[in-house]
Formats: sequence, structure tokens, C-alpha cells
Amino acid sequence: MNTSAPTEEIPRADQPGQTVAVWDLPLRFFHWSMVIVGVTAAVTGFLAPTWWLDIHILSGYAISILLLFRIIWGLMGSHYSRYKNFILYPPKVIAHIRNLIDRSAGPSLGHNPVGAWVIVGLMFSLSLMVLSGLIGLGGQEKLGPFAFILSFETGVRALSVHEFFSWALLFLVLTHFMGVVVEQRVFKHPVISAMVTGDVPVGDYQAAGNQAAPVTKKHTTIGAALFVLVSTSAILIGISLSNKPAFGYTQIALPETYASECGDCHDAYHPSLRTSAAWKNILGTLEDHFGEDASLDDATIQEIAHFTSQQGAENFDTEVSHLVGRVDTESRRMTDTAFWKKRHQDIDDTIFAQSSVGSKVNCNACHSDAPIGRFDDSNIHIPQGNLP
Amino acid sequence: MTRNRSMSAKNILLQATMAVSLGLFTVGFAAASPTDDILAGYATEASALDSSFDGFSAERGRTLFVTEFGTGKEDTPACTTCHTNDPTQLGETRAGKSIDPMAASINLERYFELKQVEKWFGRNCKSVIGRECTPIEKGDFITFMLTL
Repeated sequence: MNTSAPTEEIPRADQPGQTVAVWDLPLRFFHWSMVIVGVTAAVTGFLAPTWWLDIHILSGYAISILLLFRIIWGLMGSHYSRYKNFILYPPKVIAHIRNLIDRSAGPSLGHNPVGAWVIVGLMFSLSLMVLSGLIGLGGQEKLGPFAFILSFETGVRALSVHEFFSWALLFLVLTHFMGVVVEQRVFKHPVISAMVTGDVPVGDYQAAGNQAAPVTKKHTTIGAALFVLVSTSAILIGISLSNKPAFGYTQIALPETYASECGDCHDAYHPSLRTSAAWKNILGTLEDHFGEDASLDDATIQEIAHFTSQQGAENFDTEVSHLVGRVDTESRRMTDTAFWKKRHQDIDDTIFAQSSVGSKVNCNACHSDAPIGRFDDSNIHIPQGNLP
Repeated sequence: MTRNRSMSAKNILLQATMAVSLGLFTVGFAAASPTDDILAGYATEASALDSSFDGFSAERGRTLFVTEFGTGKEDTPACTTCHTNDPTQLGETRAGKSIDPMAASINLERYFELKQVEKWFGRNCKSVIGRECTPIEKGDFITFMLTL
């Protein structure tokens, strides 16, 4: 293992104008792309995950691809992109911290020992974020490449990991950012321009007694080829997996009698919104149906009861079937479930009152996929502007 | 020739008879529309219940439509709760679904099928008044809607 000169801390020498390449182009492309999609994912995730889930998911996919590329690039990139040249040896880390404290730390070629640990932490937590996000998306939302295999419960657990590590990641990003500020401002090492141009002043390079193989055009070519390969295969595999039928959700056609009779006063609700037992109860008390008489003749009731005995919340593994459908409240109203209330707490009464909505139980007015029992976050479109 | 002529005269007579019968049939059919049948049925029931019954009244139907009963379910004190005061306009269910106008001029099909008519009288009379409607009330209601 070559632990000698190249990545040692070195005294800064001034030979303005002359530079040498340290960061290869694929690595810089990775870095700044990650900044853009990472900030997008963070903003949409921390601020309003429900409304911006589409953008959050897209940026998550982009992060996955970039991360996958970076993980492989750590094995085949140019000198300072490789894991084996990360300075992680604890005594060196402690020495570097001492140098930082007494302000004697010189510039590092590549990641300095503290920075290297932060990078490892960033890559580790980013991997966990991407994995937990994809598992959560698949299990809870029944979307994405893992929807075909994951249960709701698995998805919910993964999302609690996702949430926890989002804070860890935020902390690491801030640490990384602080490190950059300290290098740039306190020690006057041009680390930001180095990540933009790839170059550091040639004096630093020579003073380090650098033995690293130089960055060449070959790295750009190989990096570009690898990125195309990684992104293309990830997208193709991702799409083909995403197209598999989701675990615990099959789209069913509502029988005509069910759709027309239950759809007289309100649009016919998807059967996954109540358990079969609750449907039976509802069908047995139609003469007092949420404050109105909704009696039907016995033959019609029998026909509907046959359907709801076979299709109820327990036959679906969707978020709505778990958090609304399986939850029975004293009033039997879906709008009295904790999940319904929580999800609709920010929606003003005037939204429900407008003529195109009319009531809180007109799910279809905002959830365009309510008739098929999906209730995807991305299919929420709240009508605005036709207030009564 | 004579034979042929008499044949064709017979044909003309036959065709004329068919045309007249068809015309009469059409007129008869139009007169006894499904709505009239339903009204006739309610009239028979009404006479059976009350020998002094002498026909439906649009004015009584209007009163029925606009009266605030408050004797049925709490949230539906009157027909107008959901159907609005103007039967030519769209109504809205408590759940937010729009209801086609009640006026026969706009939506005569409403009063074509006895099963449907009975289903909605059955539900809504109980929701609004708290009891079944009488045949007179049902007939009055439809008669009122036929005037709009």
C-alpha cells in the first residue's frame, strides 16, 4: 500500500498561473450533478414530500444513478477518485485535526483525512437514503422498481429509516460544506475552484512530491462510457421492474350494479376503503346511511354484498387500504380516521365547499385515481378558483 | 286487367288501413306515456285509499317540494335541501355529487320507470319527512314537475 507522499499535507507554494489536474472530469461532473439533484431532493423531501413527491422521486432516481457511478468510479477512476487513496488511517486524521486547530494544515491533494471520512459518510448515508427511499416507495406507495415485491409494512419501516438518515445526511452535508469553507477561507486553499476546473496550483503539486498517475483524457472517456452504461442499464432495469404488477394491488373493475347503485349520491368508493366486515355493516344499515335513507331492494343488496365480501380493504396492501380502509371509527366515516385527518388538515374548508368538490367525501374531485383505489400522491390535483 | 285493377284497389285499401292503424297506434302510444302510466297507477292507489280523491294538484306538489318538514333526517329538512328551490337547475347531494334537474321539461326520463321513481320516493320521503309518501303526494309531486 502506497501511503507515502502523494496525499500528505504539504506546504503551499506560490507559482501563480501554472496548475495541474487533480480531479478528473467524471468526478467533477458527479460532484456538481449531485449538488443539484441532492438539493432538489432535500428541498422537496424536507419541505413538502406529499405535494412534490414526483420531483423528489425523480431526483432520488438521479441520485441513485450518480451514486452507483461514483461507487464504481472509486475503483476505476483517476488517482484521487479511488478509495484506496482516501486517507482514513486514524492517526493521520488526528494529526490533521491538530494541524487544523493550530492553523498549520497545508493543502491536500485529493481529500484531506477529515474530508475523506466525511466523503465515506456521505456515500454511506446517500446509499442508505436511496435504498430506504426505493423500498419505501415500493412498499408504501406501490411505485418504482421494488413495488412488485415489497409489502406496505416493509415500506413504512424503510421510510422511518429514510427520515432518520435524512438528518444524518443533512449533518454530513453541512460538515462537508463547513470543511470547504474552512479550507477556502481560513487556510486559503482553492478547493472550490479545484472542484470546478479540476486543477490545483502546480507548486502544491510539486511540493507534495506527487507520485500519482496524472489525470488524462482517458479518464474522461472511460468515465463517460461508464456513466452511459450505468445510467442506461439502471433506467432500463428500473423501468422493466417498475412495470411489474405491484405487490398487493390488482386493479379491479367495479361491477355495474355496485358502481351505479353506490354511485347515486356519491361516486362509488373503491372497495379497499372499508373492510368486508364494515361493508356488510354498511349494507345492513342503509335506511340510516350517514344521515340519509339509502334503502335498496334485497336483491340489489345481495348482489353488492357478494362483491364486497370478496373485495375489501384486507384484499389490498395499499397505503389507503391500511390507513383508512382497515381503520374503523365509531362514526364509520373515513373522514374520521387519524390518517385522513392528518393528510387533509391543511386543506381549507373553502376548498371542500367549492362547487366542483362539494364535500369531504368526494374523493374523486382531487384524487383522480380514487376510482381505482390508488390515491397516489402524484395524482392529487386540488381544484382552485371556482369558489362558490 | 279487371282482375288486376281490383287487386290494386284492394292493395290501396289495405295500405290505407295500415297507415291509419299505425297513426292511431302512435297517437295512442304518445297519450299513454310511461309517466302517465305511473300517474295512473298512483291515481288508482289514491282512489282506493280515499274515495273523495279527485285528481292530482301541481299546487299541492309545489307545497310538498318547498315545505321545510324537519321531521325526517336532521340534515335533509326539505326536498330543496339537495334539489334547490329551482327544479330546473342542478341540485347537489350532501356528498357533493350533482343531481340532474327535477323539472320534467328538462329531464322527463326521470319519471319513466316506476322502479326508479319508487326507489327515490322511498328513500327521500323517509329522509325528508320521516315516513313514506302517500300516493297522492307522489302524484302531486310528479304533476308539479310536469308543469315546469
